[in-house]
Amino acid sequence: MTPDLLIQSTIIGLSIGSIYILMALGLTLMFGMMHIINFAHGAIYMLGAFAIYYIFSQWGAPYFAAFVLAMLLLGTFGYLVERSIYRAVKGGIEPTLVALLALTTFLQAAGYPVFGQLDKHVPPVFHGTRNVLGVMISVERLMIIPMAGALVVGLNLFINKTKMGAAMRAIEQDKEAAALQGVNVHVVNGLAFAIGFALAAASGALMAPIFKLDPMMGEQPLLKAFIIIILGGLGSIPGAILGGLMLGLIDSIVATALGAEPAFLLSFVFIILLLLFKPTGLFGYAPP
Amino acid sequence: MLEVKDLRVRYGTVEAVKGLSFQVPTGAIVSLIGANGAGKTTSLRALTGLVRPSGGEVRFENALLNGLAPHDIVRLGIALVPEGRRLFPKMTVLENLRMGAYLQTSKADVASTLEMIYQHFPILRERGRQRAGSLSGGEQQMLAIARALMNRPKLLLLDEPSMGLSPIMTAEIGKIIRQINALNVSIILVEQNAMLALTLAQYGYVLETGTLMLQGKAEELLRDEGVKKAYLGI
Ligand SMILES: Nc1ncnc2c1ncn2[C@@H]1O[C@H](COP(=O)(O)OP(=O)(O)OP(=O)(O)O)[C@@H](O)[C@H]1O
Ligand SMILES: [Mg+2]
Repeated sequence: MTPDLLIQSTIIGLSIGSIYILMALGLTLMFGMMHIINFAHGAIYMLGAFAIYYIFSQWGAPYFAAFVLAMLLLGTFGYLVERSIYRAVKGGIEPTLVALLALTTFLQAAGYPVFGQLDKHVPPVFHGTRNVLGVMISVERLMIIPMAGALVVGLNLFINKTKMGAAMRAIEQDKEAAALQGVNVHVVNGLAFAIGFALAAASGALMAPIFKLDPMMGEQPLLKAFIIIILGGLGSIPGAILGGLMLGLIDSIVATALGAEPAFLLSFVFIILLLLFKPTGLFGYAPP
Repeated sequence: MLEVKDLRVRYGTVEAVKGLSFQVPTGAIVSLIGANGAGKTTSLRALTGLVRPSGGEVRFENALLNGLAPHDIVRLGIALVPEGRRLFPKMTVLENLRMGAYLQTSKADVASTLEMIYQHFPILRERGRQRAGSLSGGEQQMLAIARALMNRPKLLLLDEPSMGLSPIMTAEIGKIIRQINALNVSIILVEQNAMLALTLAQYGYVLETGTLMLQGKAEELLRDEGVKKAYLGI
């Protein structure tokens, strides 16, 4: 591999990794607080991409406005899913998982008739290429990194510096104890749903101009996000960030050097090896 | 202040509390004692909304608590120091205290409450930046009590505060309970350590497998032959 190719695939890896991180953050946050795996995360990614298609490329709204609107719409949808599905089953873990799986299937199946022909794509938002360390990189790819980065920083500030964020961390550590301090656990769980859904929508919205749109397009990033949260340690936010970067870089660098299939295989070999030595993942901790 | 009438709690088909009635007068320390599995923790969980009573009535300053969520009950001025402390282990001591003041909206009030807490628990000021999970058992118990006080409760429920503590630490906790009571906070003290409970309380209730066996003034219970045999080991 030439140095140019290495630089290029590293930068592409960072941008893919950014998308993975956004997906994984919501998953790990929801898992940490409610011990549920949001299977619908991939479908929300897909809806985020289609939201950009309609709001930006069909109705002509500015890209950033469309981006924010997509996050708000799907974030609200997440809050409503907590209010309806999660509360209906009284927070039971298994019924929630089944309901989320049903929601996923429904959204994907509905996508075909609702969104019509699979020929939709979003025109480029950022044009041209830029010289990075002597290598030309498409600005479209490059812009993903600061935008996702801003969201990651924002989320961390929210969780570590605000009262609501403290309530989320409290629920993650002891739900009943949090309730005993006056935290309305339902509202804060709803907020976690909203944040998770909004971040999944943001990932889809960032990738919309790069790939063709398709109701099943969220499955692959969802699978990656699963791998990442196991790698990083279930419920761990730093783990999701580091895991996402590692997987993005492996995917891109190894795929460039050896091809896509070996990269896919290698990411699993890597996670199996890591879990052999540290079963709780990079930042996971086993409850005492 | 608190009036419990015929409280019943069931877990599935098992009834853990079978018609418990008791009351807490304003300013009093009332103690619930009983062997393992008597239903003491379950009763406190029912008072704070962590489990729904299957029957009976709980009234606090004339408000009916049945069916309220824990966060609503805390807002009324009842705080629970749960069995096993239940701190937020990954948060610092200060963050745990701030969680206790979650419902407080005035920064100035929180600051003055914190100052009052530090007067009573100087060790917590020293340990402010340390993670709660790394404190010693006695320090954790102090933090759990302090966290509950941060919301300025009128009624404090303590579930086995002496559990796992040395005799010296237990005596220290006893002293703290008296100080808190002197600040006009009514207290329900649940204890396996019946000696500690009955020396602190004015009134005591003895529970056995979910029912009330005996009640009376604490000094009378301390002299009761049955209580002596079963709970005081003398
Ligand atoms: N979550 C639960 N599910 C089913 N049964 C429970 C549950 N919690 C408590 N019990 C049962 O209810 C009864 C009363 O338990 P509880 O914890 O209230 O007793 P306790 O008086 O606090 O005992 P200890 O002194 O050991 O803390 C026991 O028989 C216990 O096994
Ligand atoms: Mg108990």
